[in-house]
Amino acid sequence: MIHNDDSAALLERVQQAASTATPLNIVAGNSKHWLGNHRALEERADALSMLSHSGIISYEPTELVVSVRTGTPVTELNRVLAEAGQMLPFEPPVLPASTIGGVLACGMAGPARPFAGSARDYVLGTRVINGQGHDLSFGGEVMKNVAGYDVSRLQVGAYGTLGVLLDVSMKVLPRPEAELTLVHAATPHDTPSFARLLRQPLPLSGAMLIADRRYLRLSGSEAAVSAAARELGGDTLPDDESDIWQQVRDHEHEFFKSAEGGKRLWRVSVADHAPALDLPGEWLHDWAGAQRWLQSDASAEDIHRAARAAGGHATRYCAGPPGENALQPLDGVMRRLQSRVRDSFDAQRLFNRGRFHPELDTIEHTQMAREG
Amino acid sequence: MSAEPADQPAVSHSPGSIPQPVAEDSSQNEARIAQRLERRRRFAGELAQWLPAESILSSEEQLRPYESDGLTAFKATPLLVVLPDTIEQVQAVMRWASANAVPVVARGAGTGLSGGALPHEDGILLGLARFNRILELNLELGHARVQPGVRNLAISDAARPHGLYYAPDPSSQIACTIGGNIAENSGGVHCLKYGLTVHNVLSVTVVTIDGDLLTLGGEAQDSAGYDLLALMTGSEGMLAVVVEVCVKLLPVPPEARLVMAAFDSVEAAGDAVGRVIAAGIIPAGLELMDKPAIIAAEAFAKCGYPTDAAALLLCELDGTAEEVVSQIERVSEVFRASSVSSLHIADSEAERLLLWKGRKSAFPAVGRLAPDYYCIDGTIPRRQLSHVLQRMDELSEEYGLPIANVFHAGDGNLHPLIMFDAGKPGELHRTEQLGSQILQLCVEVGGTVTGEHGVGVEKINEMCVQFDSDTLTQFHSVKAAFDPQGLLNPGKAVPTLQRCAEFGAMHIHHGELPFPDLERF
Repeated sequence: MIHNDDSAALLERVQQAASTATPLNIVAGNSKHWLGNHRALEERADALSMLSHSGIISYEPTELVVSVRTGTPVTELNRVLAEAGQMLPFEPPVLPASTIGGVLACGMAGPARPFAGSARDYVLGTRVINGQGHDLSFGGEVMKNVAGYDVSRLQVGAYGTLGVLLDVSMKVLPRPEAELTLVHAATPHDTPSFARLLRQPLPLSGAMLIADRRYLRLSGSEAAVSAAARELGGDTLPDDESDIWQQVRDHEHEFFKSAEGGKRLWRVSVADHAPALDLPGEWLHDWAGAQRWLQSDASAEDIHRAARAAGGHATRYCAGPPGENALQPLDGVMRRLQSRVRDSFDAQRLFNRGRFHPELDTIEHTQMAREG
Repeated sequence: MSAEPADQPAVSHSPGSIPQPVAEDSSQNEARIAQRLERRRRFAGELAQWLPAESILSSEEQLRPYESDGLTAFKATPLLVVLPDTIEQVQAVMRWASANAVPVVARGAGTGLSGGALPHEDGILLGLARFNRILELNLELGHARVQPGVRNLAISDAARPHGLYYAPDPSSQIACTIGGNIAENSGGVHCLKYGLTVHNVLSVTVVTIDGDLLTLGGEAQDSAGYDLLALMTGSEGMLAVVVEVCVKLLPVPPEARLVMAAFDSVEAAGDAVGRVIAAGIIPAGLELMDKPAIIAAEAFAKCGYPTDAAALLLCELDGTAEEVVSQIERVSEVFRASSVSSLHIADSEAERLLLWKGRKSAFPAVGRLAPDYYCIDGTIPRRQLSHVLQRMDELSEEYGLPIANVFHAGDGNLHPLIMFDAGKPGELHRTEQLGSQILQLCVEVGGTVTGEHGVGVEKINEMCVQFDSDTLTQFHSVKAAFDPQGLLNPGKAVPTLQRCAEFGAMHIHHGELPFPDLERF
């Protein structure tokens, strides 16, 4: 692996951009170039490449902590952890050339998320350059730390709009001793059946519904996995589907490629028990029904409306027409507060302007007259 | 331990560390008192528009119980205590405070150990004790919607008959409230496996200083925009006031067993912890005690600890019956390979609870060995344990004050208990200095000044050692995004740069002198 500390150069670039008010588009592997409101990206922005800032800074398996530069490829990090029998439990999705910084900035997690926790759950500390060009360190390399606000976890899923992530420390866990998948015949959209399973002390690490099949993954000690498998029954995974979890995690599964003319891929995030959403298209239910993938030709407005009515939100997971909001619009008090949070890190809106929620790129004045 | 019950304060004596007003002549003083009484009367009158008379406390006798939290070393009397019982009342109080620029300090059960709920002399104390109802126990979905004044243990007590529980279990769980747990991001002895408060809360509803009501998080696994739920957790009442909480309930593990392992040296015990984790086992709890703590706990709880051991590990394993059996076997093997001097597996539930009782009563147990004790809360990378303990021995000798150590070994959270006698002149001051030295040692080895008790007012100076001025400035900007006037819990959690300059022992970043732009005194 290439070990390269590019932080001094990155810091200088940001300081220069800050002094000239030049927007910056933060890019690493560019594996998710289609995510967010990419068409709205500031045209005159410079690219800030994170690729030369890579390598593992420290890793002590018995401490269950790894510290890594954010330009490190996820595959590389996974390989090093696997050599010590460990893993990132939130199963970072690996798109071609994905870096750990990109996964965290986009707040992505694989099928284990409802059982093992999310990306932010495993973040312990970060080193970040804010919009003033300051080199800041939050949190640390220890699991329990309540000194200062939890700005590290706040960075996860912020699409880089709260600063340039330089380094990150994460909690890791041992890989499970045993793993096994059970397949059951299912009624499409039968997510309530997951809810019942989730309330039992089963070693579940994956639960998804693809067409008329339900897949349950069990992970843990040999004894626990085989006991649970006996209790749940069902078929074992057919050979041609042996990598189905990885395929869904990394969007390599047939479902993600099947978009026909006009259909676009959406991620709908709702409560696992939310009833089926009344939207046209094909569905794949992951995260025990809490992360629903939709291939649909419905309009962004319709999808956002339906997701909100179900108590969740929707994100477009592919390129889309200019002007269409890829993310669930924020409004009211929430929009104003989030905009002020953005303000506190990046008052000039240098980072990834337009990419995240464009409504947060309007500068809020804290004393601004309250709406309504 | 996240916080001990209110009757076990972190410092069992009052050192009076709060800056006292400079001596004034008596006429000035009288004028000040008169002014204060006038403001109290006026504020009470204004708040009576929204709150019934019995929800506004203003007499000295009524205010006294609120003058400190679990850190009784610090005391202050608020202008008023208000005890709203509806969200609308909280909103009205906040709008009023915002419009009149009056500081607001929120308080749950007051069990915190860092002075986070210490009142502001010119502000109001917002007591949330009346928000004490469990609103919904949803067994099917595995969550509980509760008011912030509900006690941590009350949630598990309500859920347990249905096979569910709320995982974070700070030692003060019998008394501390869930709202306070959010403020401190409380842990507990089981957080290595089950996580902290931040990992177990689905959503919080908060009232901002402007009186707006907002829900952060929800039933979905993530929300649109920034993860303000993560930011809110552990923010020590600085950003908003929590008025409702939805927590995740987990299925009660069918089986829990405890292994007790004694070692001839703390190093050997620390090494064994590393080996357990290297073997791929994550125990539900993993606690280490040193000799002074073992002796104190045994004398207090008579739970059967080997008092000749230099270090003791309590290792709890839970899960399905099959899982626990196989894990006990593997853990025992690891301990045997780590030169354990004695190994014992609790053979009944009663014995398991008794062995835990010893550990959980370590604070009061140490409290019996000396007139006073002071509990420190730092976190260190576990590999630094023997270095830190050795350095602490040296400091203990230097200051002439004995220290007992209990350690959440799995996650590196160390609780040194300094024994002292506040009756001896100067001893209290020396104790505070020793505590500060220990926290600075934690930062030096790559750890933090607070693992779970929070910064509050107690560790505000040590924050200057852990963070540089740019980072502290960023914290202040985050605070301003929520509370531009700085009315929520002023003076807590994040020190001003001015204060750091006064403290003197400062963060050296990249070899530069910190705060070069500040004038020195």
